[in-house]
Amino acid sequence: MAKIFWVTCPRCQGEFYCHWDELRHKEIKLLCPFCSHQFLDKESPKITE
Amino acid sequence: MAKKLKEFLSQLEDRLPADLLRIDRPIDPSRFEVTALLQHLENRSRFPALLFEKPLNLHGKPSSFPVLSNLFATRGRCALALGLDPKDGALPLSLEYARREEQLIPPVKVPAREAPVKEVIKCDKEADIYEFPIVRHHAMDPAPYIDMTPVMKDPEEGFYNVAFLRNMVKGPRRLGIHMSPRHNWQIHRKNEEKKRPTPVAIVVSHHPSFYLGALNVSPFGVDDYARVGAVMGEPLRLTASETWGEDFLVPADAEIVIEGHVLPNVKEVEAPFGEFPGYYGPQRLRPVIEVTAITHRRDAVFQHIFVGHRDNWILGGIPKEGSLFNLIRGIVPTAKAVHFPISGCGRFHCYVSIDKKIDGETKQAALAALAGCDFVKHVVVVDADIDVHNEEEVMWAVATRVQADQDVDILKNVKGNMLDPSQTDDIMTAKMIIDATRPAKRPFAARVRVPEEALARTRIEDFIPPAILDRLPKS
Repeated sequence: MAKIFWVTCPRCQGEFYCHWDELRHKEIKLLCPFCSHQFLDKESPKITE
Repeated sequence: MAKKLKEFLSQLEDRLPADLLRIDRPIDPSRFEVTALLQHLENRSRFPALLFEKPLNLHGKPSSFPVLSNLFATRGRCALALGLDPKDGALPLSLEYARREEQLIPPVKVPAREAPVKEVIKCDKEADIYEFPIVRHHAMDPAPYIDMTPVMKDPEEGFYNVAFLRNMVKGPRRLGIHMSPRHNWQIHRKNEEKKRPTPVAIVVSHHPSFYLGALNVSPFGVDDYARVGAVMGEPLRLTASETWGEDFLVPADAEIVIEGHVLPNVKEVEAPFGEFPGYYGPQRLRPVIEVTAITHRRDAVFQHIFVGHRDNWILGGIPKEGSLFNLIRGIVPTAKAVHFPISGCGRFHCYVSIDKKIDGETKQAALAALAGCDFVKHVVVVDADIDVHNEEEVMWAVATRVQADQDVDILKNVKGNMLDPSQTDDIMTAKMIIDATRPAKRPFAARVRVPEEALARTRIEDFIPPAILDRLPKS
C-alpha cells in the first residue's frame, strides 16, 4: 500500500487515513467518513505520518 | 434458456435449503445492519446466502429491491452456480472452471423487447440510485458502496472488460470509482488521454456464473463477454444500452444495470473502503461516474459482495485456480491442482501440486503462477500426494519438506497490489516461492501409513455404530 497518513476530524474527532502522495499538503478537502465534514489536512488536530 | 439469478435462487432452495436464508424483518443496509448480521453469522462460522426481503433504500423508505448477500461464501454454492454437484466444490470445481476458461463463446444480441433488464428504464433525471438498498459495509466506509462489476469497452479494439470495482455513492446520479492499474484502468486511461469520457455499465445483479466468469484471468484484449459466456456455458445475451445504443451492449438478463460516463480528468476524494485484504484502502483521489440511465427487471434483486470476507475471497479464488491451472499445466504438464486458500484472501497465497519428475519443475510452476496473476504473493508448490485444498496438509509439507536456505526464494520489486497493507510501495512488492516438494535427486523418507489391507479388513462400522460415529468430536 502507498504511504498513508492518519488524520483526525476537527468536528467529530473520528480518525481515518489518506493516501500521502495524493492528499498530504495539498489544498484538497478531506472527507470525514464518520460525520461527512470536509476539511483540509492542516485543520486536523492530530496527524500521524 | 438464458441463466437468471432468480432461477438460481430457486435451485439453491431446492438443492441446499439451509443455504438460503430469507430475512423478512425490515433492515437498513445504509446503517451497517446487513453487514452486522453477516458479521454475527461469520463469528459463529455460519455462511448462508441471505436474502433481505424488506430493506430500506437510500431515501430511508421501503425498497422494492430485495438485497442478496453472501452468495459466494461457500464453494458448494459456487459449484452449483456452474451446474456441478455442490459436493464438488473443491478440485472438481477448479478443474471445471479451467476447462471452460479455455474456450470463448461469443455473445448474442437480442432486441430490447426480449431483454428482461429493460422491463423498467429510467434515464437522465429519472434515474436515481438512491432508490436502491445500497449497503454500507464497514465502520470507516464514508458512504454506501456498490461493489459489483462495471463493464468498459476498449475504444480502439472494441472488446469489453468486466471487473469487480467499488463505486462510492456520491449523489443520486454520481458515483466514485476505484480502479487499480489493470484492464478497466487501461481503457479509461486511453479515453482520458484523448479527453473523452469512458462509457461504463455497472452490472449490479446477474446469475452467479456471470460473476465467476467476470473474474477470469484473461490477458488484456480478450473479450470478457465471450469469456463470461464460456464460464456460464452459454452465449451471454446482450442488448443495446440506453445511453450509447448498439455502440455499447449490456447483459440482457441482468437484474439491474447502471449506465454512465467516467469523466475525463476529474478526480474527487473517495474511500476509505474496507477492501478485499481485510483492511481499509486509504482515502484518495479517484475518478467519478455521472449516471445517465438505470434499467432493471420489474422484480429485480439488488446484489452485493461482503468485501474482505469469505464471500469475496472464495469468489476471487476459484477463477484464478482455473486460469492458473491451465497456464501452469502448459509449462509443467504434471500439474495436478491449484488452490487459492481463504487464508490468503483468495488471492495472495497460491498452492500448486505437481507430480514432480525433475527438480526444476517446481520453480517453473511457481514462476508461471506469479507471472499469470499479479495478485499472487506467495506460491507453495507441493507434491501430488498433498491435497492443496487441505491447508493442514500443505503446511505439513512445508514443515517436513522445506529447508529454508535451499527451498525458499524471494523475488524483489515485482508488481503487486496497491491494497496490500504490507507493501511499502504503491505498486511494487516482494514475492516468495516455497518449494515444499521432495527432492528428486536424493532418497527421501516415506510418509507413515496404515496398511491398505488392514483398512479394508477393519471396517469402522463393525466397531463403531454410525449414530455414535456422528457424535464423536472433530478436530
